[in-house]
Amino acid sequence: MAAALLEQVVNGVMTGSVYVLVALGMVLIYGVMHVLNFAHGVLFMLGGYLCHFFFTRLTGNYALAVLLTMAALALIGAALERGVFRPLQGNLRNQVIASLGLILALENLAIAFWGPNALQLKVPATERLVALGELRFPLQHLLIIGVTATVVAAMFAFLKWSKFGTALRATSQDRNAARVVGIPVERMDVASFALGTALAALGGALVGPLFLVFPQMGDTPMVKGLAGILLGGMGSVPGAVIGGLIIGVAESVSTLFLPTDYRDSVAFAIMVLILLARPRGLFGVRARGEE
Amino acid sequence: MRLVILLAAFFAAAAAAQDKVAVGIVTSLTGPMAPPGKFQMNGFNLAAEEINAAGGIAVGGRKYLVDLKVYDTRANPAEGASAMQRLATVDKVPVVLGELHSGVAGAEAPVAQDYSVPLILTVPTGPNLTEQGNRFLFRVNASNDQLNLALVDFIQKQGWAPLSFIAWNNDAGRGGVNGMKKLLGEAKTGYVGYFNVGEVDFSSHVSNIRAANARAVMLFMDEEPGSLAIKQLRDAGLKTQLIGTLAMGSDRFLKRLDADRLDGMVQYNAFPPNASTPRIRSFSERYKKKFGEEAHGFAAQSYDGLMMAAAAMQKAGTVSDGKKLRDVLAGLEHDGVIGRIRFDAKGQANPPVYVTQWCANGTRRILYPESLKADCGAG
Repeated sequence: MAAALLEQVVNGVMTGSVYVLVALGMVLIYGVMHVLNFAHGVLFMLGGYLCHFFFTRLTGNYALAVLLTMAALALIGAALERGVFRPLQGNLRNQVIASLGLILALENLAIAFWGPNALQLKVPATERLVALGELRFPLQHLLIIGVTATVVAAMFAFLKWSKFGTALRATSQDRNAARVVGIPVERMDVASFALGTALAALGGALVGPLFLVFPQMGDTPMVKGLAGILLGGMGSVPGAVIGGLIIGVAESVSTLFLPTDYRDSVAFAIMVLILLARPRGLFGVRARGEE
Repeated sequence: MRLVILLAAFFAAAAAAQDKVAVGIVTSLTGPMAPPGKFQMNGFNLAAEEINAAGGIAVGGRKYLVDLKVYDTRANPAEGASAMQRLATVDKVPVVLGELHSGVAGAEAPVAQDYSVPLILTVPTGPNLTEQGNRFLFRVNASNDQLNLALVDFIQKQGWAPLSFIAWNNDAGRGGVNGMKKLLGEAKTGYVGYFNVGEVDFSSHVSNIRAANARAVMLFMDEEPGSLAIKQLRDAGLKTQLIGTLAMGSDRFLKRLDADRLDGMVQYNAFPPNASTPRIRSFSERYKKKFGEEAHGFAAQSYDGLMMAAAAMQKAGTVSDGKKLRDVLAGLEHDGVIGRIRFDAKGQANPPVYVTQWCANGTRRILYPESLKADCGAG
């Protein structure tokens, strides 16, 4: 039982890490632009496909392929902000509808390009097994956890200490005040979108070798990531990290006690319970200007 | 010289004017079932080609070439029903063959009955299909009940208990688990875990199977989740005996994984392409020559289906009367590639079901039925 528990905790931290990557990106975009980008899951999926392309067709080096994927998706994210979300600025409802439309467009684009069947992304270097006591995990598992931890730490440092990060935070706190002190808020929008999309792409590129690359691969991480955000507190970066991890670990550990098909219900039941106790989530604060 | 040209022109015209009989085909050319659909179409195309190369179907002193009228039903019941209706009313075919998806076949069958056009299924395995009292429905391949019966017989002989399951959370998965549980008895069933279509993380099942001390695990799923589940079970260090479905006994499946991870796994199989049985060997050679890949059970079943339809037309002496064709089909006995095919009162054939096992070198051996046992390289 102890081994099974440890195994599920490690698995939970791994899936939770993936949710964290998705949640971080969404929170960043939401914080700056106040748009919930529902297309975040398909951007995650594009990350998987592009990584497959870069790895198998171009470089053969997984780390390089992941970086290229993030760069490519950052460009796509910036283009989406300029082409889709900026023209709809000030109209939240249409922005949400546009992000829903993007899901259809991008998912079918992927199917048109790569076909409806799942692709295998075989990275021999990370298929090695690492022993942890009597348990064994593929290296990719630990890689996902390690990379996510690094990215989260870098993200906190960036937001807290860099000038650019401070400007991002300022824009998310008050757009007009930020403009008054000379922050180019439009550029912050593009930057948050590019950064958020690159994080989603990182998630897809990391999960690809462990599972498969297929058109719906981003659906679950997006929904669970969103649950993590709500649980952690809308707009809170630490909240997104803790929320994503809680969801991941809770649903993994629950499968030891409940039938596995209740896995999703457990994730959302926890979210509902926490929101009942703390309606703004664990780290949620009332934003300035909010009702 | 002129005479030769004239003669050639005459024969060419005669050939062009040769009678044709349109045979309806319902299959998946696109959509989620497109890959198995390709195997099915290969079987039909090979059969049609061989029938036509031999001069066609002899009916009433004339020879009819087979002309396949193919409709793409895309694993969609509504598409299936409308294709079936179109085949019966617009194309006026005497017989329809094919389908992959049990749900779609269930929508097509009543239409076949309404228009008195026999429908010969060659791939769907849903047991209920042949339980509806539909006299116009026939099935060449084994149903899930028949597959499970053979597999349980094999498992009991091996003494593999308790048996755990990982299965689709749908009709096929839950139906399969319940069917096998009933045959095995509750006492011999271990952990049962379901997963939703599209789920890729089997780690929770891995922990539970380890905790349940399962002697063997049955994987009720197809290729994609199957390859993920096996990879995750083996990577986690579980040595449990693996039992798979039809989809997991092909070279295509081997390419997704590797011989190391598959070594020792068994799966039920409707058609071992490398068996030394002459009819299977000859079919596999012809298939490989035409399509350049290993023969597949869906192709063999579909090939047999069309051959039976042709034999029935010949025997019934009609290329248009569906009712007459039905009556002949009901009593027909056919030596097919997959074995002797004869429909029972419900229209269900009873072809042999095999259990094959992966060898360490990536080939397969036949373990079941006992009479057809053969070593590595035969499965």
